[in-house]
Amino acid sequence: MAKARALDRRRKSIRSIRKITRTMELISTARFRKAMDRAVAASAYTKRIMSLVGHLSTAGLEVHHPLLEPHAETSRAGLLVISANRGLCGGYNSSIMRQGFAQYKLLKADVPNVSLEIVGKRGISAFRFRKYEIAERFTHFEDKPTFAEVEVLANRYLELYRTGKLDRLDVVYTKFESLGRQRAVVETLLPLGQLESAPAGTKGGSREDSHVQYELLPTAASIVDEVVPASFKVKLFKCFLDAAVSEQIARRVAMKNATENAGEMIGSLSIAYNRARQSQITGELLEIIGGAEALNK
Amino acid sequence: MAELHCIVVTPEKTVRDEPAEFVTVTLFDGELGIAPGHSPLIGRLGYGEMRVRHGQSTTRFYIEGGFVEVENNVVSVLTNRAVAADKIDIAAAQQQLDTATAQEAKTPERQAAIDQARAQLQMARRA
Repeated sequence: MAKARALDRRRKSIRSIRKITRTMELISTARFRKAMDRAVAASAYTKRIMSLVGHLSTAGLEVHHPLLEPHAETSRAGLLVISANRGLCGGYNSSIMRQGFAQYKLLKADVPNVSLEIVGKRGISAFRFRKYEIAERFTHFEDKPTFAEVEVLANRYLELYRTGKLDRLDVVYTKFESLGRQRAVVETLLPLGQLESAPAGTKGGSREDSHVQYELLPTAASIVDEVVPASFKVKLFKCFLDAAVSEQIARRVAMKNATENAGEMIGSLSIAYNRARQSQITGELLEIIGGAEALNK
Repeated sequence: MAELHCIVVTPEKTVRDEPAEFVTVTLFDGELGIAPGHSPLIGRLGYGEMRVRHGQSTTRFYIEGGFVEVENNVVSVLTNRAVAADKIDIAAAQQQLDTATAQEAKTPERQAAIDQARAQLQMARRA
């Protein structure tokens, strides 16, 4: 009896695990949809900023800004690693960490001072385990990063860069490429380099003349002053949004696999259980028959 | 007569994407009215009110910095925040004003915080 009962117990516990993983899969599916909607909504702003920059440059305006120019000497770099607060999402965190460690080593080799800033509990514990010094840690970014939260971070980086306390900023995050493909990537956000601009004439088919004379209020320089930080902020925000979407996708896939595996396991355990029970019954029957035979003699 | 199309986007979402007859935005130095047929324009926004008139109704938003671009009767407003006039958080604005005025150092950030808070309070009072 003992073996059959143990098998049954295992089967029960796996059933409840399957229930949990199935629920988690559903939850992350719902969250993924929300995160995806947010990312799509945010891309409207990005597109408009890009077309604005495009219009500025077609208006014959040279875009110059201290944020676009690299500093003469790179002695202080920042590395921002965006990981998740929670695990159970397959290879999501580990691939971020792999990229993060590699980039950290790379930066360390070039730049004397590297300050490490990490988003997400998983990343913090991984870096702490390897005894790296973490300058800043953030755990308040959940699956819905708001622009206001990201802006605080962005403003700090801008301030540091402006005052020369930061010469370079790299961000390690999971880029959302398509539903089936997300990759951990490293992007250098500061110096911004070239502003991305939509090529003229992409916004609707109605613009055949790309040489519209814009009235610029107050001056071109003032607008550039505002456009450049805005596009930095929105870039950083996009990193966070991408990371949030990718995390939910990774979790959904991981949980889907876990649910399937649990189902398979339940199947094989059921077979083993039935066999064990049957052989037990056979054994008991043989005993009874044996006993009856003995009495008849 | 030609009609304007008014688009308001923030980094988080598209707040409004509808036709309009007349749009008023607060630029860095004062209000600017945009009627259909306005010449192409790129302007820097301040902190303040934006009014969109369409038919009989006027929608009011509080907007916080960013740009306005007018071209081909399309008014696109790119701003960090856009809040409908009746959704302004008066308590938060008041608190922002208080903490900013309490600051000793007269930094540009302090001034920006004060301007933002005052604009919100003003709008909330008018509503």
